[in-house]
Amino acid sequence: MANEKHPNRSLLLFCLPALIVYILFKLFPAATGILYSLTNWNGLNKSYDFIGLKNFAEIFHDAYYWNSVLFTSKYVLVMVIVTNVIALGLAVAIESRRRAKGLFRTIFYMPNMISMVIGGYMWMFIFTKVLYYLADNWGWKFLDRSWIGDPRYSFIAIIIVAAWGAIGYLMIIYMAALQGVPGDLREAAAIDGADAWKSFWRIVFPLITHAVTICVFWTLNAGFQVFDVIYALTGGGPGRATQSVAINIYEEAFKGNIRYGYATAKSTVLFIIVLIITMVQLKVTGSKEQEL
Amino acid sequence: MKKILALLLSACMLLALAGCGNTQAGAPAAGTNDNAGGGSTPVENTGASLQEPRVAELNIMMSFPQYMDQWETYCKQFEAKMLAEENIKVTVNLEMPSSDQYESILQARLTGDDAPDLYTLHCNNIGTYNKAGNLYDLTGQPLGDVIYENVKDTVSVDGHLMAVPIESQAWGVLYNKAIFEECGLQAPDTLSDLRAICAALEERGYTPFMLAFQEQWVPQLMTGLTLGDIVSGKLTDWLERMYADEGSYDEVREIFDVIDLIMQHGTDRAMEEGSEAGAADFALGKAAMFVQGTWAANTIMTTNHDMQLGVFALPINEDPGCTRVNLSTSTTLAVYPESRELELALKFANYVLDENDSSSLFQACSFNPLATVHDYEAFSWVEDASAYVAAGRAYQDLVLPSSVTDEQGRLLQEYYVGSVTVDQIVERLDKAFQNANALS
Repeated sequence: MANEKHPNRSLLLFCLPALIVYILFKLFPAATGILYSLTNWNGLNKSYDFIGLKNFAEIFHDAYYWNSVLFTSKYVLVMVIVTNVIALGLAVAIESRRRAKGLFRTIFYMPNMISMVIGGYMWMFIFTKVLYYLADNWGWKFLDRSWIGDPRYSFIAIIIVAAWGAIGYLMIIYMAALQGVPGDLREAAAIDGADAWKSFWRIVFPLITHAVTICVFWTLNAGFQVFDVIYALTGGGPGRATQSVAINIYEEAFKGNIRYGYATAKSTVLFIIVLIITMVQLKVTGSKEQEL
Repeated sequence: MKKILALLLSACMLLALAGCGNTQAGAPAAGTNDNAGGGSTPVENTGASLQEPRVAELNIMMSFPQYMDQWETYCKQFEAKMLAEENIKVTVNLEMPSSDQYESILQARLTGDDAPDLYTLHCNNIGTYNKAGNLYDLTGQPLGDVIYENVKDTVSVDGHLMAVPIESQAWGVLYNKAIFEECGLQAPDTLSDLRAICAALEERGYTPFMLAFQEQWVPQLMTGLTLGDIVSGKLTDWLERMYADEGSYDEVREIFDVIDLIMQHGTDRAMEEGSEAGAADFALGKAAMFVQGTWAANTIMTTNHDMQLGVFALPINEDPGCTRVNLSTSTTLAVYPESRELELALKFANYVLDENDSSSLFQACSFNPLATVHDYEAFSWVEDASAYVAAGRAYQDLVLPSSVTDEQGRLLQEYYVGSVTVDQIVERLDKAFQNANALS
């Protein structure tokens, strides 16, 4: 059989349509984008000059950019922990139910189906109107905070909305992994006298580490590219206090001095940072994965 | 059950494929059609059958979705007019992306060889777009003869008319005339007048200023007005020196006297208030004054039909000579020079200031009259502002680099929440201006 000789051929053939689209619309623009990072193009002019690595040299002195990198790192760190813990918790809770699994799965997955921009505007209404209504009329004074204007609270607001949107997706991955854990292993542990807590950490968790790898990878990756939630909620403000790298790049490219070339250089740097971090992460979590 | 599902799914896929197929097959056909009709002499093609109208398409992109209905009607009128007068069957494709994404979409379209034939543009960007070769020179077009001279200056580069002005306004601070009357107050001429007004309003239990700082462009209006005041009344060469890297914001530090006053006597939770919500709350009497342009009048009047809206010039010091209104053009309409339907595009540009139809359009959108063809009665707030202009108490809107304008908005947000001081603002704005100078 030809298939046995070239097991990868049919695999490749099946992937080909998606691969072509991916190369054409994602890989190719990304690669040519790096070329623009060596120019002073403003996104409008028909001609531009190659200026070598000047853009990259400038990035090193760009305090606003590094502040946004710092803010994004903080966001990623909190998001990775918060979303994964909650998603795993929810997945375990729902999986342990006998009835209405589908209902809860649907409810918690629902936010994922709404565009984050729309979700952001919905939450904006909650943060700027509903919470103040509760604070003013029901006396819930602890809600009377500047949810958009004070960077400390707007960070919390951003995390709440982003986690609300992402948890459903991660939960589904964790649920699939949990379903793959053989029941006899758990039974055996139970017979050996392990309680639920022990059986989860000693049996279940080691067997779903591959899902943890995927989910952490996904949250890391998505976190570094965060744009829509922040854009819809605070617009990066007040000032630049909640500006993520993606928003910083967007503003460089489309607002103010409209510097496409420089903005592309910034996104290249972001790409390299994300690449390094995810590679380290895959190495670390990958080595801990257990196979049955 | 499964079979039915599979059948349904495959039917869906087939439909989707057929849909793709159609557009692909249709695209080149439409393209050739465009090419055939798009030449400047379409006579050869249509010559065989004169009765048969030439088919053409005109793509227009505009940045004010709030006036979608009015412009759609106007485009329909244009289509009818072209069919009747020129025997051209035009289809106008009108696109209205939301205003905060408009510029990025426009830039992507311009650079992606997919430029609309006509597009709206902020007046301050005319210079940049002109340099990039994206504006058709409208000098000599009939529309040039009807635009008011002071408005024409705002849309011209070196005496060449580069765009059709659409939104032009004299603006300052909006105020609620009913509240002012009730408290026996009058529009201020000096900063101490304004202080007295704030005190009087607060005594009666009113909040003087509406603050809606969530979007950066709203607080930025305060710098727009105060810098204009100070430059027109006192430091006339400040802007020139700024462009030559010889000036500093330190010289105009005075503007923070009035900015502080506004922030101290404003509504709470300003960062949680968007511009539209602010306009609505102002209309409902939550505050007596609002530093906002007359473009917000539409929202205000829709929220409260009985609102008595007035405009006064923002005083910045004790010199009434500095208290002036801002005369500016914001939205303009430009023609793309490499448009395939250039002639038609020019016809549309002229039609915007058509002597018969333009008035009703401008009135429906509550735009201010800006050409001799506009013979409708202006609103009370427009008259208030026009009175300042007539008395010579107006200045041409300052054209700052847009990165500096953005930075002013950001810094005022930060100033409001208390994370920067005036000294830091001065330093950062000077730097932003120098950066912009270095790049242009």
